[in-house]
Amino acid sequence: MTACLIIALASSAFAQQQNTIDQTQLIQSLMMRIDQLEKRVAELETPKPQNAAAPANPAAATAEAMQMITQNSGAESHPALNMAGFSDFTFGASDQSGSKSSFSEGQFILHFSSNLSPKVSFMGELSLTARTDAGTGSPPAPGFNPEIERSIIRYEHNDYFKVSFGRYHTPINYWNTTFHHGQWLQTTVSRPEMVQFGGKFIPVHFVGALVEGAAAARGLNLNYNFGVGNGRGNVISRAGDAGDDNNAKAWLVNAFVRPDRLYGLQIGGSSYRDKINSGGHAYNEWITAAHIVLSKETPEILAEFANARHTQLDIASPAANSQAFYVQAGYRLPMLERTLKPYYRFEYIHVPKSDTLLQPISNLAGSVAGMRYDITNFAAFKFEFRNQRRGPGQPHINSGFIQTSFAF
Amino acid sequence: MNGTRKLLIAVVLLHVLMMLILAAPATDIAVVVNKEVPVDNLTFAELRKILLGDRQFWTSNVRVTLLIRAPMAHERDVVLRDILEMSEAQFRQYWIGKVFRAESSTAPKTVYTNEMAGSLLNNIPGSMTFIESTQVPKGVKVLRIDGLLPGEKGYPLH
Repeated sequence: MTACLIIALASSAFAQQQNTIDQTQLIQSLMMRIDQLEKRVAELETPKPQNAAAPANPAAATAEAMQMITQNSGAESHPALNMAGFSDFTFGASDQSGSKSSFSEGQFILHFSSNLSPKVSFMGELSLTARTDAGTGSPPAPGFNPEIERSIIRYEHNDYFKVSFGRYHTPINYWNTTFHHGQWLQTTVSRPEMVQFGGKFIPVHFVGALVEGAAAARGLNLNYNFGVGNGRGNVISRAGDAGDDNNAKAWLVNAFVRPDRLYGLQIGGSSYRDKINSGGHAYNEWITAAHIVLSKETPEILAEFANARHTQLDIASPAANSQAFYVQAGYRLPMLERTLKPYYRFEYIHVPKSDTLLQPISNLAGSVAGMRYDITNFAAFKFEFRNQRRGPGQPHINSGFIQTSFAF
Repeated sequence: MNGTRKLLIAVVLLHVLMMLILAAPATDIAVVVNKEVPVDNLTFAELRKILLGDRQFWTSNVRVTLLIRAPMAHERDVVLRDILEMSEAQFRQYWIGKVFRAESSTAPKTVYTNEMAGSLLNNIPGSMTFIESTQVPKGVKVLRIDGLLPGEKGYPLH
């Protein structure tokens, strides 16, 4: 731009060579420009005044800075409450008989975090979910169902040892503890069915206490979680929020490594045990799971497997094993400022009829393919196609979805 | 004729000045901490872990507080490109996710000038920031990265 200006100025000046007055003015103008640039150089080379620069984009600071800081002193006040939110809207259509194409409002999520002291913090997650039975019944059902999804108070002694109490997303599954309820956080429109909210395959929520930490472990970066809690409630898709229905506590162990040498790689495994009372029967539950994840987006690879073993205690019967896994791959394309990310996922669930606790979960073999387009740093469009079959001999069901999801 | 010569000299000077501005050599970026931080050297992997929020304490009593320049600053570009290998959008999404997962109670704090960073650095125990090595304020500590200080051969941040 400046070069063009110079050329234009120079050309203009040469065209008027005979006019010495104009030349003098031009020279003065150029000398002034030189002075301005010299001042600019000097300005760049010397420290700026304290409040010289304002944020170029005030909104940009919002998400990065879920923070409260007094600029001059650096002092952080307590409690320091910060709030963020997520939501989404989806249009979906399917060739399944009886289904209707429709828009749907996703969960409206509010997320609160607050530092109560330098070592104690609280975080909460509240969801409002649209009800399909809104306005029916007496009194009429409300349009949205509120739920406290997570509520965690944590004491952090150091990186090796943190202890917390509350309602968690059970840390025996990578997806369940990484993406939570904000659809914007995940690449795809939908969660894998094995960790679907309201699903039964694994206990999505966990009420109790958790000890966690991380150690360098010679560059392996070993992370661990150990938890004790109520386990599943009588309705096994729900955690025992109001209390346990037996004296046998659920416990879990989760460990994973993030090697320094392979930036973005995470490999881990977990185990979860509980005694469940449901439908008038008692069961032992033992879930083992493993995951391998490459979180860099060139490519992004997520793969998880879980085996749920259930033994009915009041009837002599062999243990039943149900399995589920998914493999998802995505790639952040280099063009268009890296806003496009195509992805594909295959998922599979097999629940034998002998696993009476998990019945009636449908088996599943399905593919999901789509494209995520980040229209801003905080909002995305996702276009997704699904092909699913619930079991041998069952028809393939094709569905299409367009979703916009965002953080605010 | 005399005027034309002056004009040519002025144009040449202008060009030289522009080239000096545009072709200024990249300065190393220093990793600077509050002087009370009980660490003198970090490996590159440890530096990355701190920026990812995977290491949050210097010692049990001193928590890491990250101060990072706002978008468009050279220091931020170096942090995102050379250490985290992330775009601006990926960095924001990563930290929103980190806080939302309750893995960190606070995200990095944004600072708008190196002077603001230096001022906060002196006031916040455990704070850490990135500043061009020519602009490091007094009273702070410059960390070695893999044993190297800014300006030394093989220093990774510039």
